[in-house]
Amino acid sequence: MFKKGAIIFLAVLLVGVYIGLVLAAEKKGNDRKGKYLFRKNCRSCHVEGGSAKELSPVSKTQAEWEKAFKEYESLSCKDEWRKLSDQDRLDIFTYLHEHAYDSPSPIKCS
Amino acid sequence: MAKRSQRAVSRRGFLKASTAAAAAVSLGRGKVLHALVPAGKATPRTGPKDVYSACDMCFNKCGLIARVDDLGVVRKLDPNPKFHKSRGMLCARGNAGVRQLYDPDRLKYPLLRKGKRGEGRWQRLSWDQALDYAAEKLQAIGEKYTRCGVLFMAGTDLQSQFVHRFAEVFGSYNVISHESNCLLSRNRAFLDTFGEVPVPDVLNCKYLIMAGANRFEALVTPDSIDLMTALKKGSKLVVLDPRFTKTAALATEWHPIRPGTDMAFFLAVAHVLIEEGLYDKAFVAQKTFGFERLAPHIRQYPPEWAEKECEIPAAHIRRIARELAAAAPAAMVYPGRRSSDYENSTQIRRAFAIVNALLGNWDRPGGLTVARKVPLKKPPYDAPFYEDNPDGRIDEGRSLMMFGEEGSFKHARDAVIEGKPYPVKGFFTYKTNPMQTGANRKKTVRMIETLDFMLTVDIAMSDTAWMADLVLPAPSYLERRDPVSALQGASACACVITRDPVVKPLFEAKPVVWIVGELAKRLGLGEFFDFTMDAYRKAQLKKLPGAEAALKKDGVYHHPGKLYGVYEGKPFKTLSKKIELYNQRYEKAGIDPMPVYRPPKPVPDGHFRLVVGRSAYITQGSTTNNVLLHELVPENTLWLHPKPARRLGIRPGDWVVVSSNVGTQRLKVRVTEETREDTVYMDSGFGVLSKGLTRVFGKGASIVEILEDFNDEISGNMAMHETFVTVKRG
Repeated sequence: MFKKGAIIFLAVLLVGVYIGLVLAAEKKGNDRKGKYLFRKNCRSCHVEGGSAKELSPVSKTQAEWEKAFKEYESLSCKDEWRKLSDQDRLDIFTYLHEHAYDSPSPIKCS
Repeated sequence: MAKRSQRAVSRRGFLKASTAAAAAVSLGRGKVLHALVPAGKATPRTGPKDVYSACDMCFNKCGLIARVDDLGVVRKLDPNPKFHKSRGMLCARGNAGVRQLYDPDRLKYPLLRKGKRGEGRWQRLSWDQALDYAAEKLQAIGEKYTRCGVLFMAGTDLQSQFVHRFAEVFGSYNVISHESNCLLSRNRAFLDTFGEVPVPDVLNCKYLIMAGANRFEALVTPDSIDLMTALKKGSKLVVLDPRFTKTAALATEWHPIRPGTDMAFFLAVAHVLIEEGLYDKAFVAQKTFGFERLAPHIRQYPPEWAEKECEIPAAHIRRIARELAAAAPAAMVYPGRRSSDYENSTQIRRAFAIVNALLGNWDRPGGLTVARKVPLKKPPYDAPFYEDNPDGRIDEGRSLMMFGEEGSFKHARDAVIEGKPYPVKGFFTYKTNPMQTGANRKKTVRMIETLDFMLTVDIAMSDTAWMADLVLPAPSYLERRDPVSALQGASACACVITRDPVVKPLFEAKPVVWIVGELAKRLGLGEFFDFTMDAYRKAQLKKLPGAEAALKKDGVYHHPGKLYGVYEGKPFKTLSKKIELYNQRYEKAGIDPMPVYRPPKPVPDGHFRLVVGRSAYITQGSTTNNVLLHELVPENTLWLHPKPARRLGIRPGDWVVVSSNVGTQRLKVRVTEETREDTVYMDSGFGVLSKGLTRVFGKGASIVEILEDFNDEISGNMAMHETFVTVKRG
């Protein structure tokens, strides 16, 4: 009886974990807000003539944006990143990723 | 990130006055215009002079020189011989531009609707009254329905970017262009195959297949002129079209393909290229992704199968495939422009793109070239964010893979009518005419009837302006100072253009940049339009030091750069970094990763398929009222093949009634063998509702009144060849 209960408990737990993972994988930020936050937080430096390289969504491929966001702790501006909430980072990521160089909807150049 | 402070806009006294003096303002002809074209000697002399400009009679923006006489009147428009993109030419529409400038039907001053929508009763307002009223309405909608409650739609115009800027700072992401009534499915297909939308090198192409495109009437520069030059040099042109267009007439061969079966033809061409080993093996091995999946997929599509679908003999398909391969890489399936035809139009164009990839013509002379980068800067601005706004666009998710920045007119219209996912109650249009370009006109009217406020800025009282609450007069292209803009020209080189006023604006016309700037000021957003056009242009040209002088000297700046071999050693902008014969994103999105043929809906008995096309004198709904062009095409007719005409007892010149599931129109018939027996055609731009278009009002029939509004299931582009109609005398 105990064994059966444990199996059910484990199964429920695993299903729960799985659903959680799926949700995490599908969690999408707000790209409109991401655009605003990108301009506000990133473009203060990443702008033409700024202290860092000019950046826009088409500066990188989707895979490169994924890597940059995963490994932001290794970037020189990591302190700025830390000031952002998880949600803000997700919104900025969504904006950059959805309009990346190799995305289905690359941002239009001027 | 707090919600922006919103300046209250007070209701102005004019509304009180207007109720007392709600008189209908006369539209159209009057003594006003007569005074504009000076006949007497009293007018101060200003010329003669020649002024460079860029045409605006269609989207091509060909270079021109306006000849202004010593009384300051534009007498003639001539082509700019230094303008490579148009190969130093100007078409009939371009020549007729003078009569757009001096058209008595032009909008002259701000007008406020007084009667019911479409009734045509207007009250003249001052600019201050009009702008105060518009700002008040926009503010009210923003407060009640969020800023996304206003839908913006701007045409292909050098100043449309300011409407986009205004929409963004106002806070609405619901911005659509004309593109989703035109070419988005082509863009989708080529972007999803090559990672970008190519520019065809028509001039150097030796063998060109044009499916559905009509380049000798639906003019695209330099393609139309280059095609003629290429033919003179001995190149071969194969046209597939249910109509015997002027392009078909001048082609090497014409095949009246069964409408909606182009994919069958091109899958069969791909079949022959692969089966007979005629494809560019080195190119395919090095630069494409998914050939090992395409080859078995294509086996099911031999020419003998395709013949039954497209009604082009298998022997011809085989021959054409072999001839294409022999001419490759200077051979191409022309990507086309307007592709708003079928529910699977993206997949049809994917088949075009795949054949091009098999020919290895990418980035090579006579093939598909890469859009040249022109380092024009877009002066930056930091638009505010409105926390109460919804998450997405109103039309989001209604097709499988829409362009985030373009949206879809069809879907946006449905969403406004349904009020889902949220209400949109404002509509701002600039120089675009969805009442004449959006299939199913009744639905467009229904959408407009759900609105609290509609504002239209245009040159003339288009059908769209006719439905608006507030109509504001814009200057024609010959009266404006525009920002600079880059144009692609394949072998004609990319170039930069701008416009300075040839003459002062007539009447009370004001450019849209000024209009949105004034609205912004009234809405507390003036900082975003705090620039002069000269400063804006200087910022745009910052990285192009020679451009300003060239524009002054030659009316155009040609930007040098490599035309071929741009991608040598570089990854493609796709997921696989190669040309995607097999599209991985499609697979993930549940879309066929390679084109799978599905036959078009069969034409029911007693019906015809209605197709859309172009006359060289007509730019959708914007030129049929031009006095010179109207003389050339005074009305449209229904093209009907003699066989069904006989069966229906219809004789040349008869009046006929054309009916679909959504609408009925009456027009004269043109009995002709220049269309298939199962296909009928009429020009666009007629059957107008606006009495402000005095020449064309009451002439011909409106095609969008009859067309049903289907859409491409991937891009959301309108699909305008899916409508079946009956035809009878009457």
